[in-house]
Amino acid sequence: MKKKGCLIAVVAVVLIGIFSIVVWYIKTGNKIVRLDEGVAESWAQVENVYQRRADLIPNLVATVKGYAEHEKTALTDVVEARAKASSVNVNPEKLDSRSLQQFEEAQGNLSSALSRLLVVVERYPDLKANQNFSELQAQLEGTENRISVERRKFNEVAREYNTYIRQFPASIVANSRGFEKKAYFEAQAGSEKAPEVQF
Amino acid sequence: MRRILLAFTFVVVALSAFADMFDRPAEVRLVVDSASAFTPKQLDALTAKLDSFEQATTVQIQIFTTTDLHGYDVVDFAQRLGEGWGVGQADKNNGIVIVYKPKTLFEDGEVTIQTGYGIESLIPDAVCKQIIDNEMIPCFKKGHIYMGIDRAVDVCISLTGGEYTAEKYMADIDRLYTIAVYIIIGLVAFPIVVVVIFLIVFLFCCRGYTASSNSSSGSSSGSSGSSSSRSSGSYRTTTHHHSSSHRSYGGGHFGGGGARGRW
Repeated sequence: MKKKGCLIAVVAVVLIGIFSIVVWYIKTGNKIVRLDEGVAESWAQVENVYQRRADLIPNLVATVKGYAEHEKTALTDVVEARAKASSVNVNPEKLDSRSLQQFEEAQGNLSSALSRLLVVVERYPDLKANQNFSELQAQLEGTENRISVERRKFNEVAREYNTYIRQFPASIVANSRGFEKKAYFEAQAGSEKAPEVQF
Repeated sequence: MRRILLAFTFVVVALSAFADMFDRPAEVRLVVDSASAFTPKQLDALTAKLDSFEQATTVQIQIFTTTDLHGYDVVDFAQRLGEGWGVGQADKNNGIVIVYKPKTLFEDGEVTIQTGYGIESLIPDAVCKQIIDNEMIPCFKKGHIYMGIDRAVDVCISLTGGEYTAEKYMADIDRLYTIAVYIIIGLVAFPIVVVVIFLIVFLFCCRGYTASSNSSSGSSSGSSGSSSSRSSGSYRTTTHHHSSSHRSYGGGHFGGGGARGRW
């Protein structure tokens, strides 16, 4: 009789233990999913602002062409870099350092092609006086700033996620469910400062 | 290598030292004049304007003047300030931050307008740039700091004021309701007062001059008078309370939209 009571107690304790572990596992898993969603959302914002820049380029190129037809190389560089940058697609489920690096490289090429174009444009005072062009300048500058803000926000969210999934005991859940570490954006040269577009 | 490490620790220390600068303050001060660019009168006028605009539309316009950007770029500074303080309402992201750094002998003057996510479509970057180039910098160059900022604020107000007409409308209705209540109280109270005065006169004339009746009628008229004044007073305090309950930074977010200017 006494033995039976002990057995029941042990079984109860074990059951409660298993139950609480299961609850903890589910809860932790859900939290990781939530953080993961946050990273994906942030990534979408990053893509948005890069897309915003890409959308400005056709208009910019058309405007510059009207005034500075001789600057063919600078213009085609921008157009080609834009095409390349748009062709790089990153799977938001798999933000590893390799895919992020590819993305960075393509967008970085576009950035430098753009700044080369804007240096060339310095030589055309008529263009600089053009209302449409000055509006584009302001939009482009604002967009570059948006890009650096969203990159920073992405890094913050990704850092939160990475810290959580790599900490014990949440790391057990993360490993068993196949959640992987997200890559960060590299600090750009002078990333604390918004990239300044000099006109 | 050691130099890099040293530089790194310096950056970390510097960042951690200034990190609290962008923490949300407990109370709202829509004009923070660290650079003492305004006179007290101008400061009050600007604050009053921004406060009443916020009450009508919930849009928060934050003015921040400083002589020291703590190593941040002015645009970066303004964005971090807006995001950190949470200027604007969280559900609408309707905050605007204007940061002004005066021109000194050695450094250019700098100004920026940063728009919250919800304002970007109402004041696009190109418009921000125009406000800075056409309204602010010409004034700043002449030394009229207040005028430049005030004009920019006026443009921002006119561009964003129409967005929340529904709320403004409700606020107006609220105000109308309060006025109506005042009028009704007045209309109700007026005959009562007349009747009471008439009663007093009547009592004085007919009942004779007994001290007891005199004092009782006097106290009744006094109580009715005070109750009407208290009720109108309570309306005033409730409306006041209503407005003061919004007095916190709402948690708006900033994505880096806006423009900068230099002179």
